[in-house]
Amino acid sequence: MVSTDQQEAFIRLVDQHRGILHKVCRLYCFTDTDRQDLFQEIVIQLWRSYPGFRGDAKFSTWLYRIALNTAISDLRKQRPPTTSTSPDQLPTELQDIQYSGEKEQQLQLLYTAINRLTEVEKALTMLYLEDKTYQEMEEISGITQNNLRVKMNRIKDKLRKMTKEATYGIG
Amino acid sequence: MELDNLKGIWQDLEEPLPQGRRSGDPAAHTRATGLSSGGESLLPLLQQRSRGPVARMRRNLRIELLCIIVAYVPLILFYLVEFQGRLRAISLLLIVVGAFFCAYYYRKSRLLNTMQCLSCQVRSNLARQVGTLKRYTRFYLLASTIVIPAMAILTYVIFHLQLLYPGDGTVYHRLSPAPWWKNSTVWLLMLVPFTIAMYYFNAWYINRLYGRHIKKLQELLREMDEE
Repeated sequence: MVSTDQQEAFIRLVDQHRGILHKVCRLYCFTDTDRQDLFQEIVIQLWRSYPGFRGDAKFSTWLYRIALNTAISDLRKQRPPTTSTSPDQLPTELQDIQYSGEKEQQLQLLYTAINRLTEVEKALTMLYLEDKTYQEMEEISGITQNNLRVKMNRIKDKLRKMTKEATYGIG
Repeated sequence: MELDNLKGIWQDLEEPLPQGRRSGDPAAHTRATGLSSGGESLLPLLQQRSRGPVARMRRNLRIELLCIIVAYVPLILFYLVEFQGRLRAISLLLIVVGAFFCAYYYRKSRLLNTMQCLSCQVRSNLARQVGTLKRYTRFYLLASTIVIPAMAILTYVIFHLQLLYPGDGTVYHRLSPAPWWKNSTVWLLMLVPFTIAMYYFNAWYINRLYGRHIKKLQELLREMDEE
């Protein structure tokens, strides 16, 4: 039985790391409904797993694992990758936020390119953008650091190529 | 576009401030992002039921068990009490099949409990899911294939041992005066092709239910392992 104190502590912790959950939902879902469903599912799974959280790992590492495991293994969220750069395909926040021109364009390109990556590549790209070290990425993903370096180089090349295609209409 | 140059912009997105929230309208924020914010909004989510694949499988299994109980218990009681208890053997048959279902439910339930470890590393969780899901489908195939022949053999034994209407002679002998081995051979001849057909039908059906999911998980695992 989980006490009210534990419940409050859990809500406080999750609320502090809410940004991570939003980003995972944005990466793996393409509609608001899917995003809401995935957010709810991740919170439920976090809550269920919370009694087993011993603090051996950092809370954020534990949370990344559960969020990514939930997003990756739930096939309801699978949609064909988009190749369009239409603003309608962007996450809602990006449609609303008025960034400076260049920044906005870069984010649009980034999201469009990330949407075309595989589930595993999306997870690694997210961890990389979150400035996680290769050791932390290994702790979360279970992929060895050497393999992670190889994969990240490949992903960077892929993203570079895709954004070039989107910018210059190549391919 | 260089990924390294985008780290800053990405991390700025940690606390998205869509127009609605910036203007102090949380409802507009919820509409814009599809996700509400604030600790209080998390509380109702904790009471919700999971809609993940394993939770759905567990729910289906519970429904299956409930259907078995609803169908079997009245039947068992009926044959125990009615016809002056002369058809008790049918109750016995149903109890044996019911026990088989209990073992089936227990095994499936245990497999579902170990199917995922969400707080484990992504790779090990995927490997665990693939392994357990394969064992789950193998067991599902085996159980659903043997249930019909097992019931047929039990029925044969019940009739052959004259558990129904004892003293009246075997039903088979009264239907046909052929020796016992002939009746048994006819049963087997009917049962073998039926069981083979059932095996292929179940394999197709189970593949339809879980095949895509297993394939997808295997692809993800292979992608994680390849250098």
